[in-house]
Amino acid sequence: MYATYVIWTRHMRKFVHQTEELVGLALQSVLWVLLFGVGMRGMISDVGGSDYMSFILPGIIALSALGGAVGGGMVLLDERLRGIVKEYLAAPIPRLSILLGSAASTATKALFQAALMLLVGLLMGARLAFQPSGWIGALILLAIFAIGFSGLALGVAAISRSIAGYHGMIFLFNLPLLFASNALYPLEVLPAWMKVIVLINPATYLIDAVRALAFGVEATLPLWLSALVLSGFAVASMAFALKLFQRSLRA
Amino acid sequence: MNEPAIETIDLVKRYGTLTALDHVNLQAPAGRIYALLGPNGAGKTTLLSILTTLLPPTAGSARILGFDVSRDAAEVRRRIGVTFQEMVLDPLLTGRETLDFHGRLYRLPAAMRRQRIAELVELAQLTDAIDRPVKSYSGGMKRRLELARGLMTDPQVLVLDEPTQGLDPQNRVNIWNYVRDLNRQRGMTILLTTHAMDEAEALADLVGIIDHGRLIVSGQPSELIAAMGSDVIRVRGQGNFDHVAAIAATLEGVSRVETDPADGLALIYADNGSRRLPAILNTISNNGFTIEDVTLARPSLGDVFLHYTGTALRD
Repeated sequence: MYATYVIWTRHMRKFVHQTEELVGLALQSVLWVLLFGVGMRGMISDVGGSDYMSFILPGIIALSALGGAVGGGMVLLDERLRGIVKEYLAAPIPRLSILLGSAASTATKALFQAALMLLVGLLMGARLAFQPSGWIGALILLAIFAIGFSGLALGVAAISRSIAGYHGMIFLFNLPLLFASNALYPLEVLPAWMKVIVLINPATYLIDAVRALAFGVEATLPLWLSALVLSGFAVASMAFALKLFQRSLRA
Repeated sequence: MNEPAIETIDLVKRYGTLTALDHVNLQAPAGRIYALLGPNGAGKTTLLSILTTLLPPTAGSARILGFDVSRDAAEVRRRIGVTFQEMVLDPLLTGRETLDFHGRLYRLPAAMRRQRIAELVELAQLTDAIDRPVKSYSGGMKRRLELARGLMTDPQVLVLDEPTQGLDPQNRVNIWNYVRDLNRQRGMTILLTTHAMDEAEALADLVGIIDHGRLIVSGQPSELIAAMGSDVIRVRGQGNFDHVAAIAATLEGVSRVETDPADGLALIYADNGSRRLPAILNTISNNGFTIEDVTLARPSLGDVFLHYTGTALRD
């Protein structure tokens, strides 16, 4: 949809104008990898045959995409609270394109962050598998994942009445996503009940797939399943966002 | 034969138990400036939100250029330009980016966008500022940029919600001239809301008075005013307004008395104000009314407003 593209370019233009956001995101990525990765590496030398830096990078990348999705929701909330969204609403464009434009810009920022993190990770000793098709596949899945969480964040942003309320609601699903996933520990070491929870979390599928595609670790989940789960998640969450967005407009 | 550019039929909007619009029947002819005049909270913005397809009506219908705002929302959106009550601008974008982005949303080709921006920047007197971020603009500049944005798509109908709210007098007059020029030079139909009497008087070919969600009366300002009588004596003071009104109404030459005790105001309509003035003032001050201020004038739109709504228009 053309309007999605237009809104995406607008968000990117703002992103480039806003040096603080740009530098902040970049520094965040670097710090995550540096502090977290290095700290954990001191404790654990390797996980399932791969060095811990390679193990943890996909998790950190997924989590920073989550942070990006929260930020993307904030942009919509801000535009809603300020009334800027009315310019879109009065224009002859589908409502969905407003949300997709936001999600697309979130995914773009997530990719930008991921690239930076990979670079720092490599400098810190992570070993990337040498298969460019795998890297591209990993980035595509990351983009789909980012769109999925953008959908959730946008849905919450569509009905929040204040910035504080938004963050309160977002916090509810942000933390569990980190710990109830395979970001920090491999799936095999988890007790069965926690495995169930972890397998509900879409982040698990992304992280497993990225490990396999970019770092050459053997996948614990079939790749096709991961791709399917992530795509289904993205579609469902955008539908969720659209529903809440339309409901907020009817009031 | 001549279909109105904007028409609502028994338009109703309810928020829960609150009725924001109560069977509004509005007709704004093509090529004219129509001002919706009413206090804050009267339902003006709700009405505009429905006309600009941002809100669905609860009941009734509204059409713009023959297109129903619910069924043919996309057709309506393509043909109208809008400015909202609050400043709806992205502070991070430059003026040029703001206009260009808007044109792209409406799929205007690049060459046309460039040409329109060049024209509008001049019209809106933003030549020096157009490449600066909007956050550096003054209130008046922002408003002019918003108007320019509303015009990017060369709309047939322009809808302006409180176009001069929060602007200083000089900027208000600037915007008025701008709106008038648009109407005269391009024949654009313009619907605006205002709670400022002078704005409606300065701009409107037609005025609709709206209060508590009802469109109480509409017509040409001169006709509405003429219907009020020849002269009005405005008396401010303290006392028993009902008593004073009853007595003043019996005096020779007095056609009607209206009071707004909350504002300490009595309006006495007379056939010949200057001749009747001494007798009227004499009578009411002899009846226990303390007069603080008296003006004698031709009736104004403000008097029309008081006549139809029972209260003076306040901000």
